[in-house]
Amino acid sequence: MLIESMTSLGVPELVAQLIYAGLVAFMCINFVAVYAGLISVVERRVAAKMQSRVGPNRVGPNGWLQWLADGVKLILKEDLIPAGADRLLFKAAPMIMAVGVAASFAVLPWGPAHAIAADLNVGILYLISISALVVIGILMAGWASNNKWSLLGGMRAAAQIVTYEVPVAMGLLPAIMIAGSLAVSDLVNAQGWAPWDWVAFDNPFAMLGFLLFLTGSVAESNRTPFDLTEAESELVAGYSTEYSGFRFAMFTLGEFANTWVVGAISAAIFLGGGLVPPILANVPGAAVGVFILKTLFMVFVLMWFRWTLPRFRIDQMMDFSWKYMLPLALLAFFGQSIYFLATWDSLVAQSVVSHLMVLIFLGVFFVFINRVLINYRHQATVVNSYKTETDYLVKTGKIVLAAPKEAAADSSEQEEG
Amino acid sequence: MNMTPKGSPVKVYFNNVLNGISSMFEGMSITLASMFTRAQTVQYPEVDPRSVASQRQNYKGNFRGMPENYRGLLDVEMDICTACLICMRACPIDCIVITNVKCDKRVFNGRSGKKAVQTRAATRFDIDLGKCMFCGLCTLPCPTGAIFHTNEFAWNKEDLDSLVKRFVDPETGAAAQKRAEEIAQEEIAAKAAKAAAKEAEPSSGDSSSEES
Repeated sequence: MLIESMTSLGVPELVAQLIYAGLVAFMCINFVAVYAGLISVVERRVAAKMQSRVGPNRVGPNGWLQWLADGVKLILKEDLIPAGADRLLFKAAPMIMAVGVAASFAVLPWGPAHAIAADLNVGILYLISISALVVIGILMAGWASNNKWSLLGGMRAAAQIVTYEVPVAMGLLPAIMIAGSLAVSDLVNAQGWAPWDWVAFDNPFAMLGFLLFLTGSVAESNRTPFDLTEAESELVAGYSTEYSGFRFAMFTLGEFANTWVVGAISAAIFLGGGLVPPILANVPGAAVGVFILKTLFMVFVLMWFRWTLPRFRIDQMMDFSWKYMLPLALLAFFGQSIYFLATWDSLVAQSVVSHLMVLIFLGVFFVFINRVLINYRHQATVVNSYKTETDYLVKTGKIVLAAPKEAAADSSEQEEG
Repeated sequence: MNMTPKGSPVKVYFNNVLNGISSMFEGMSITLASMFTRAQTVQYPEVDPRSVASQRQNYKGNFRGMPENYRGLLDVEMDICTACLICMRACPIDCIVITNVKCDKRVFNGRSGKKAVQTRAATRFDIDLGKCMFCGLCTLPCPTGAIFHTNEFAWNKEDLDSLVKRFVDPETGAAAQKRAEEIAQEEIAAKAAKAAAKEAEPSSGDSSSEES
């Protein structure tokens, strides 16, 4: 539309397309920057809640401007390049990583199935390949830093991407087989608004593919439990050990923006994207809202993984992919094929299977909620109270209580006054 | 939960898968549950954890006040201290220094209600809190409960010397010293009197006159 209006004003079509592409890219990059900043605060708050802390709460209302303070601080820092570093590669690495993340935003949908910056007919293939660019950036950073920890981190990143690219791509195969297309808009449109129309609940094998894709994506975006590239206890800060200032900010930005990529792709391909029920079809913003909610939920799941699961060892990481995920991915692929052959003619069977999947998921969900409630009650009761610690000491006469509780409170208040 | 299953490789393999899924299920539920519990930490300068009453009014967190067995800075209640040197000997790093002299005999009840007899008074009771590691070994054997941990944790001083807490001020110490000398004199006098009494009347010793 914009291109047509510009060409009608006499602008050459190529120039008009360039201007259009530039505008879209500008919006995407700005979204990436702001999102990465905000999600870093959200992640720290979520981490704090999960660890019974308060989290950042000083800058701005409730600490919500912490990301601006962090950004300003990082920009003001000195830009160090270590002696013996490969200067060109060292400078290029953060850019390549940020570009790799930003470029994957080209094929992400923004709600309605066709609201995609570039609806390539090989969109998923493009996404898988462009997200590997991130790892090239990490490997470059590790190599160019002239530092053993950086190099180890970079090498681990390379090993990890080679290992996990396979199950991720194969986990996507059931969805691609159901839609019969590689374009993201077709993959979204192959689903429906209701959970039983989603690819994830289409059949057990698609569900398996979804779980494999999610796990592998966590590994590819180098987040805990797969953050071996920057394992603090082993590698200082991994590939970003020698980086400071804005270059370091670029790495962090890339990492946090990657959460949106993973969340959006999961939401679009497996969880029905921005498809809304027919009642809401004419409500403006409904599709975008539904899509963003689904994406943010997936981002929350990534954070949840991060603050629950401990880091793998390097051999465990390799085992996990080659021994467990790859056979399961093959199972998902062949299972999906056989499922197709079995239920190709019978819409009733397909519908029964998908509804059953939703029911099973709901059952698992309620069992999980029950577990959460039990754990909540367990955590809310005081286990490590003063009484349990000292009771036996008092009874055995080993200690003498300093003062009764009220007296202690009174005396401390007197001291203050 | 069997984390290292034994058996045939196939069994081990599927056990691993099941273990992974079930332990992750449990772990995720624990972290989600702790999302809804209140923070256990205290925003220290704004909320003083030492005053239980005041923090309960303003603080929204889950904090229940300071534990009463908190091992903070040591304090000594000199009124009930018998200067018995047990704490000094218990200290593994010798940060307590006590010197004592004889004093008037005094019988009283300690904190635990146990009867204590004081025969010696401290002329010097120093605790070097710069050395102290707050292990609490001095508070456990104290017969009267005179030495104890407060819940004070913040204590700034400008130099190392002021980190030494002195519980006997020089006047009290000098007075105790003086009294001890008097007691020594009295004892010598009493002994002499007793010896004289013994010489005079060897058969019947009078104990009541000795104590008065």
